[in-house]
Amino acid sequence: MPSATLLGQALISGILSGGLYGLLAMGLSLSWGLLRLVNLSHFALAFLAAYLVYELGTNYHVAPWWSAAMIVPAMFAIGVAQHWLFDKFKVNELASLLITFSFAVILEVGIQLYWTADFRRFETQYSTKSIKAGPFFIPILDLTMCIVAGLLAWGTWLWLRRTYVGKALRAAAEDPDIAAAYGVNHKRLAYLLSGIGAGYAGIAGTFIALIATLAPAEIWAYLGVVFAVVIIGRLGNPLGALLAGLLIGASESLAMAVLAPAWAPVVSFSVLIVILLWDPEWL
Amino acid sequence: MLLEARNLHVGYGDAPAVWDVSLDVDGGEIVSVIGPNGAGKTTLINAIAGMLRCRRGVLRFDGADMTQVGAHGYCGHGIALVPEGRRLFVRMSVEENLELGCYLAAARAARAESLDRVYGLFPILRDKRHQPAGELSGGQQQMVAIGRALMARPRIVLFDEPSLGLAPTIVDDMFAIIARVRDEGAAVLLVEQNVLKALEIADRAYVLEQGRIVAHGLPADLLKQPQIREAYLGV
Amino acid sequence: MNATRDLPRLGAVLAVGAMALLPMAQLPAFYDSFLYLVFFWISLSTSWALLSGFAGYFSLGHAAFFGLGVYVTADLTTKFGWPFLATLPVAAALPALLALGIGAIVFRLRRLRGELFALLTLSVTFVIATIILNTPIDGGGGIFMSAVPLPELMPTPTGTIYLLGFILCVITLLIAWKVAHSRLGMGLFAIHDDEDVAEAKGVPTLRYKLTAFALSAGIAGAVGGVHAMYVGFITTSGIFELTVPLYVVLMSVLGGARSWFGPAIGATVITTLLYAFISGGEAMVGRAIVAVILISAILWLPDGFVPAVRKWLAKRRRVPLSAPIAEVAPVVTPAKPIGDTVLLQVRGATKRFGGLQALGGVDLDVRQGEILGLVGPNGSGKTTLINVVSGFYALTSGSVTVAGVEIGRLPAHEIARRGVARTYQIPRPFVNMTVLENVVLAASFGNPGRAVAETRDEALHWIGFTGLAGKEDVLPAGLNLHERKFLELARALSAKPKLLLLDEVLSGLNPAEVDNAIRLVRAIRAQGATIVFVEHLMRAVVELSDRVAVLNEGKLFALGAPRDVMRDPRVVSIYLGKAYAA
Repeated sequence: MPSATLLGQALISGILSGGLYGLLAMGLSLSWGLLRLVNLSHFALAFLAAYLVYELGTNYHVAPWWSAAMIVPAMFAIGVAQHWLFDKFKVNELASLLITFSFAVILEVGIQLYWTADFRRFETQYSTKSIKAGPFFIPILDLTMCIVAGLLAWGTWLWLRRTYVGKALRAAAEDPDIAAAYGVNHKRLAYLLSGIGAGYAGIAGTFIALIATLAPAEIWAYLGVVFAVVIIGRLGNPLGALLAGLLIGASESLAMAVLAPAWAPVVSFSVLIVILLWDPEWL
Repeated sequence: MLLEARNLHVGYGDAPAVWDVSLDVDGGEIVSVIGPNGAGKTTLINAIAGMLRCRRGVLRFDGADMTQVGAHGYCGHGIALVPEGRRLFVRMSVEENLELGCYLAAARAARAESLDRVYGLFPILRDKRHQPAGELSGGQQQMVAIGRALMARPRIVLFDEPSLGLAPTIVDDMFAIIARVRDEGAAVLLVEQNVLKALEIADRAYVLEQGRIVAHGLPADLLKQPQIREAYLGV
Repeated sequence: MNATRDLPRLGAVLAVGAMALLPMAQLPAFYDSFLYLVFFWISLSTSWALLSGFAGYFSLGHAAFFGLGVYVTADLTTKFGWPFLATLPVAAALPALLALGIGAIVFRLRRLRGELFALLTLSVTFVIATIILNTPIDGGGGIFMSAVPLPELMPTPTGTIYLLGFILCVITLLIAWKVAHSRLGMGLFAIHDDEDVAEAKGVPTLRYKLTAFALSAGIAGAVGGVHAMYVGFITTSGIFELTVPLYVVLMSVLGGARSWFGPAIGATVITTLLYAFISGGEAMVGRAIVAVILISAILWLPDGFVPAVRKWLAKRRRVPLSAPIAEVAPVVTPAKPIGDTVLLQVRGATKRFGGLQALGGVDLDVRQGEILGLVGPNGSGKTTLINVVSGFYALTSGSVTVAGVEIGRLPAHEIARRGVARTYQIPRPFVNMTVLENVVLAASFGNPGRAVAETRDEALHWIGFTGLAGKEDVLPAGLNLHERKFLELARALSAKPKLLLLDEVLSGLNPAEVDNAIRLVRAIRAQGATIVFVEHLMRAVVELSDRVAVLNEGKLFALGAPRDVMRDPRVVSIYLGKAYAA
């Protein structure tokens, strides 16, 4: 059994890396829960954003937040364009899964052709900085990411709860015909939501660039875990997605510390399988 | 005439359920459409609410040609539906359901006033306003459905089987509310299986059988005619 | 004459033989290994389609079964010294057992279809991969197969692997062909279109799904066993790769997953494309092009290549005839007198949904040969009663017997086999099956033990009886509502039911069609069937029924001769209110 300090450090770094799961899960959860579209290309968009941040940062010395300010709107536009295709062809859930998988492959190929399959690392002055709290180290980039993820999740949750547009989106997800009878133009809102989802991929990508090592194949590394997070956190609930992300991150990290690093995937997927078999109402 | 339907044909897929139906509703009146199950009442009212496309025919509301309006445009013209089975947004709270009723800008401006009016009509809803609508009893859900429609500040309210599945005492309350909606200025189109109740409250009525209007007129006259009995009982 | 018929078969056998012996020609190893990959993907995608294409349960977990097969062979040969060929049966059996285990749990879930089944199977893949990685099955170091002796079936090792891959491919295609042309396949296609209806027509859906899942996983496992030798060095990251399920889906969807040879066509095209790019050094571009093909295929050919070609051929061959439905001739033979034998006996039938009581203790006897009209206001429990008798809902309490046999707790397909058939208010035909196939399915599963040829004649008879002759090869989408309602009847009748439950056959029909349908119901009764029908069109109820049962609030409210019952003041009052009855 590892020492308490080691376990505590494992827990902290697990929660912090869980923030990335939550950040990636948010956009997916919104489009799956509220639009019934499963967007596998979300991960590829995030990595495209990450590579752009890397490119702008290393070659043109643009600060990551300035890059993000340019990239996120571009991602929004890509999300809208994708939704145009889904809308035009009246794509269902399963077809959306296959089509967005293909998008992801195309993006992966594009990334590999331009940036090659080599590992890339975006070093900034913050990369190695961390706060020391008692016996524990908290890397500031990871902490920033978790704070941003928290703010984003909280803000999105409030937006869905408090604004008319948010309420209309939730209502249309339950009963589009009745929502339309009360004046909700679901089509237009769906474009907005798709754009926002892709924008979140842009934000997630910025942090991926800052804290992770980039390689084209890494696009697929998050897929399984993040889907588990989306389902555990309840579809369409950004706050749930974040909390589930932190939970999975923490339990993975503890499993690594107690068992062996390679056992981590079993944790998230066992939780997912149990939930799927339990078959709760909110799925 | 506020609402004018001429020779409407409506259906699902390739199956027409309503043939050649003409009816009128004027401001400030209650018009009932009665008929047995499967006669096409819900199909008709859904078409008037914009949820189903009309195949053929004319649908005018306050002079506007509604067949040219998209499904989400009907509410803005002043048409609000209280659908069969209520169809609330069951995961959302009571108040959120009501707020969906005033989604459009014009109604939204009067949100506070409308909410007061609805809570005045149904005080119980004020107590339950943060509860998910799906957890309410059938009668309370019907109140939310009516409240949602009133929040839109409609000029006509379409009621689809408001008494279905409710206890008799609650049914009486519902009909009292419907009369009150009319008295406060909106027109009402009521589709109902409960013949006597629907005729009692109506200013005029139509009898629908197998997708066609077989009789119409004043409730008192219709009661004397054999068509209703034949439609409902076959003898 | 026989010679001309056997010629294609002889040709096929010769072609297969020639293909099998191809490595003898000592072509460069490049050809052996390219063709092996084609066979490999054909086997994998065809086996995937057995469950996911035929029955519509989309799995993203094919890599789990394939990978398990790889590791069975790798471990048994390297760690236990088994001869390679002896491991293949185990490599097939273990994944098949795993599939049975998974299926026995997940097929009982209600809302499993669609993306949830896909994600569940995908998760299973990750879990199995992790377990294998962390236990001595792999242990993290990978497994070298180079020391394992390969049987010398062919002059070269690549030739031997080619031959094994080819044999598996042929076996897989034979299995797929056999399944597609058997009752199992018919049942799976029906499950794909509408599982509830399939069950109600007598298809043992759970058993069929498990069979298909086990077959699919077993083949994938055997393919994995051979692939272990082809790969040579095995790692979990290489075997449990996302590309396996996704390529398999892509190939099947592109070719046509509901056709037994569609996946093979898709696999051949995609593998050739990929290989062309790899050998040209443009592997990445190849992947992107494959992705573009997949997007285009899903958007423009959602059913796949084979069905699209078939549709196009059918359109060229035939001018669609739109003959109006034949009018049913009035029946002259008087109906058989109704005996006193009770065919359907319902006692204390109660059905609750959560707190809601839909049926509150219904007692009802239906006599042999009678037409019983079942009426009542909205929500009185009529359709629930039909659903209980046909087995769609399980009784909460009470009993239902047909001809003395208790059926209240049997699964729907068992009830169908005991002579109960039903129709649906809104017709629910199997949309991807022709009119004839729809009726043949019902005829075949409603009467287990009849030969296929016999069921075909039976089906044709009932298609003619309901006036649908000439529309045998039309898909249900090509029928109007009137015809779809009659197709419902033809399906029910072809099962030769003792008891026929009709749920609002007349709703949505225009007056002329109603008259025609009434004549048809009379004609059915003249054949000796007992009929219970739910109907809102009272004119027809009064005209058709021998007796009428009125349900109100989940209880039997009145029972008797139609005109008496419908004039009974109590009945009038539940329909029109008390004042009206007075």
